[in-house]
Amino acid sequence: MSEALGRVVATERKPNTPHEFHFWTAIDSPVGIGTIVRVDGSQPIDGQIPHIFGIIVEGFSYTDLQSPMHDVLGHDGLPTTAGYAPSERAEIRLYTAAVLRQIPEEPLQPVPMGQVFLADEADVQVALRMDSYLKEGASTGIPVGVYRAGGTDAVIYLDADFLLGPEAAHLNITGVSGLATKTSAVEWLLASLFTHFPHEKGSIAAVAFNVKGPDLCYLDQPGKVEETDKTLYEKLKVEPKPFGSVEYFAPYTAKGLSLNTFRNNEELLDKVTPLTWGLREVLQFAEVLLNKDDVDAKADALIDFIREQVVDREFSDPLLSKKHKVQSFADLDAWFRDVLQGMEKKDGESWRTHHVATIRKVRNRLSNISTRCAGLVTNTGEVSDLPFGSFTDRTVYVVDVANLEEDAQDLIFARIVSKLREHLERRDLGVKHLVVFVDELNKYAPGDGQDTYVRKMLLDIAERGRYLGLVLFSAQQFRSQVHRRVVGNSGTALFGRMDADELSTPGYAVLSPATRTKLATLEKGQLMIRHPHFTQPIFVRFPRPSVMQGREGAERYPQSADVSLDAAVLRALRPLDPTITLPWVQEITALYSEEEIIRARNATLLARPENVKAYFSAQFRKIIPAQAAPRPLAASIRSAPENDPYGF
Amino acid sequence: MNNAGPDTASRAVLRLLRQWLPDVSVIDGASSLEQAIAGDPPILRSAQLVEGGSIRAVRIPDLTRETTSEFGAFLDGTQNVRVIAHHFGLPIVLGTVSAAIRVRVNRRFTTWGHQTPRVERKIYAPLRYIPGLAAAGSSIQGWQIVDSSTADKDGQYPSEHPVALYEKATRAVDRDREALEDQLAEEWCVRGEAPLFVDGGISRSARVSASSCAIGVIKSHRTLYVEGDALRIVMGLRRGERSSIFRVSPRSRHSVLSWYLRLREAEGHDPMWGLVRVEAADCERPAERADEVSRWIIAETSPLALPDGRWDKMSYGIRDCEEFLRAIS
Repeated sequence: MSEALGRVVATERKPNTPHEFHFWTAIDSPVGIGTIVRVDGSQPIDGQIPHIFGIIVEGFSYTDLQSPMHDVLGHDGLPTTAGYAPSERAEIRLYTAAVLRQIPEEPLQPVPMGQVFLADEADVQVALRMDSYLKEGASTGIPVGVYRAGGTDAVIYLDADFLLGPEAAHLNITGVSGLATKTSAVEWLLASLFTHFPHEKGSIAAVAFNVKGPDLCYLDQPGKVEETDKTLYEKLKVEPKPFGSVEYFAPYTAKGLSLNTFRNNEELLDKVTPLTWGLREVLQFAEVLLNKDDVDAKADALIDFIREQVVDREFSDPLLSKKHKVQSFADLDAWFRDVLQGMEKKDGESWRTHHVATIRKVRNRLSNISTRCAGLVTNTGEVSDLPFGSFTDRTVYVVDVANLEEDAQDLIFARIVSKLREHLERRDLGVKHLVVFVDELNKYAPGDGQDTYVRKMLLDIAERGRYLGLVLFSAQQFRSQVHRRVVGNSGTALFGRMDADELSTPGYAVLSPATRTKLATLEKGQLMIRHPHFTQPIFVRFPRPSVMQGREGAERYPQSADVSLDAAVLRALRPLDPTITLPWVQEITALYSEEEIIRARNATLLARPENVKAYFSAQFRKIIPAQAAPRPLAASIRSAPENDPYGF
Repeated sequence: MNNAGPDTASRAVLRLLRQWLPDVSVIDGASSLEQAIAGDPPILRSAQLVEGGSIRAVRIPDLTRETTSEFGAFLDGTQNVRVIAHHFGLPIVLGTVSAAIRVRVNRRFTTWGHQTPRVERKIYAPLRYIPGLAAAGSSIQGWQIVDSSTADKDGQYPSEHPVALYEKATRAVDRDREALEDQLAEEWCVRGEAPLFVDGGISRSARVSASSCAIGVIKSHRTLYVEGDALRIVMGLRRGERSSIFRVSPRSRHSVLSWYLRLREAEGHDPMWGLVRVEAADCERPAERADEVSRWIIAETSPLALPDGRWDKMSYGIRDCEEFLRAIS
């Protein structure tokens, strides 16, 4: 048994309660804010000696000095002479601890007087009620970090049932930008989750939206792991290695030549799949892109009509000049043109109850989508998507939307999450549990401002996702500015270093001033955790993720500059067939337009055929080289007689 | 003196007393007797001069801000005298005495490990005039009873006057406190670890008064060992000055060297502001010793012993002792 480090004290002015107590320690005691302690009572209750576990939330230090002036007088106003005083004033270290757990739990009484001990690893497990989910053979513990204090190193576990459901779910991370806390914490936690999530609970995968910078672009590449981190990895029983299975998805740039991602270096392209959607996919989520103020109920009705009656169907109408089968934005534009021309010919104001002005407006707005989301939305209708239905266990699917316009980001987010939800409802996604990581919640689910489709989606996940196995891991800089229902439904909350302004908002009033100060000064790799089993926030350290960090990855695998069309095709196809060369590409594509070449490339990438060269070549229409017309023989010019130089 | 209601110890004693004296009257608050007692009468007494031909002011050499103190420990005792009951006017007193040595380690104080602090509580009652209690013997259920009506060395018994009996009890408590202090001081001197700063005189104990380990510092001056011009010189001492050394040889006590020392400038204060009398064992070079010890005592004026009202004369180590004893007694 370790030595006591303190004694519980209580006065009439500062009494102990069932949820808080005070104790003093020696000056050099190894305790501080966030340290977990155990109090051993001296009087048995119902025949049992009470043990109370608490976490230090406030500390006080003072001397017997009644006025600072006395110290000034005592040293003649010269601080330097204070060092010559033979004695130090009597000084106290008085701490306030919040109760984590009392044993026995009933009757719940004020904390009794007793000796205070530093909690050891076993104490920490009991104090945080981790003993209930770390049972041998039925453990649902997911290591989140190591609690360290005064020589105690205790692994802190989250309960998978409360992290991924069904009991509670979702995780939210808050912290200032630039300290790599939020992304690093999620990368680490996913690694821990993939390692420790019990196999009997089913498969698990993650979809991460990379919304800024290259942070999530190198999850499959090894990163630097310091010795101190290795020790942590060992303690937390997670192998310090990059993710074994990662798939990347990114749309093309507006030109359509290369992928719009930080990870478009040729060496890494083999794991990047283009993300392209056609008319059908976009029209389902048209409301994401259309301004509600601009598109009224009448326009909505027309969009519904197009979605239900026109797209992917043989459509004919007496007004139209021909039958239409609309499968792409190009087809849709042709259909609109025909409708409007037909109305002009009849000099009609409306067609099928839709006013001509509404039809023109909807045409304008829908046609505009392919321009606003160029690179993602194809005019031709080709679809390259996430592998919905065949998600694999312990795989991270990263969707890189960092370089996209806001509209395109919203569209991608809304459609992918909706599809994930649909598949999870049908239990045919391929995995039982799915973590969706979204950063910048301040932007996507703000507490104020107009209601957006994306915010509604996030609220829906936060409130109902756990029943489906859809779990939201979200992050932001200012928790106070995120919609309350999103953060409120997050069973687990992680806090990195916080901004002082943020800490002064009412949401943090439940924390003691000392805890708030500690939050404002947390080092890299430190987190404060709130979890349903923990009655008070706990501070932990977590190891630096064992994947390549964004900045390092960007330096090692620099983003490719814009390339020529031929080079873009070569880069896209070479991962499928390394024998493809630039001259071969140039030879095949020489006679075709840029649009045709891009379409052929996209089709090949989508099909991933065995014989890439043959498939790619087959995408082009036959062109017979034009024969050169025989040149008529020119009549010879009569030569001038020698004696008649003028030719008369 | 204490004017609070009965504490735990008082209540325990009262319960016992009622068993033997059913008609004892309890005193809840402060007794007027406690305020009636007067201290020793202020007197001037001559002393044998050891240094020079007459008392003079001596500037202590090498006194700087950096002057260090060699004191390694501090000894003090406290006492609490409380009239808790009376039997037809005859006071029954609960006396609590305590003493401790606080050792300085790395500039911080801790209780001396070789001798635990002493705390004693006794009942002081005039048994001669309360036969009912006298029948109980020298103790009741572990509480020692001290007779406060014993005859003095001349065989005279105190009168039944309650104040006289209370004064007698108070003297007995004083003696008990001094005895505890002396025991601790003697133990310290046997080990001879480092100079001990004793709050009060050292002449009661032969061993302590002869030990170079103990220095007594007296803050009260009911008895002044100077007269005439010497008195004026002592009252006029400036900060950092001491008087010439003289020898103090009280009756029934042991001879020690002594001198007055001004710890703080008295200008604007009463003439005894910051004035202490130091007692030390006899030695070969008394002047050097007096200068050395005086430097130590002046060094001990920092930090201030505030908020204690006697901070002008008290060292912080003694305040620490008092606070410690207040906490445990």
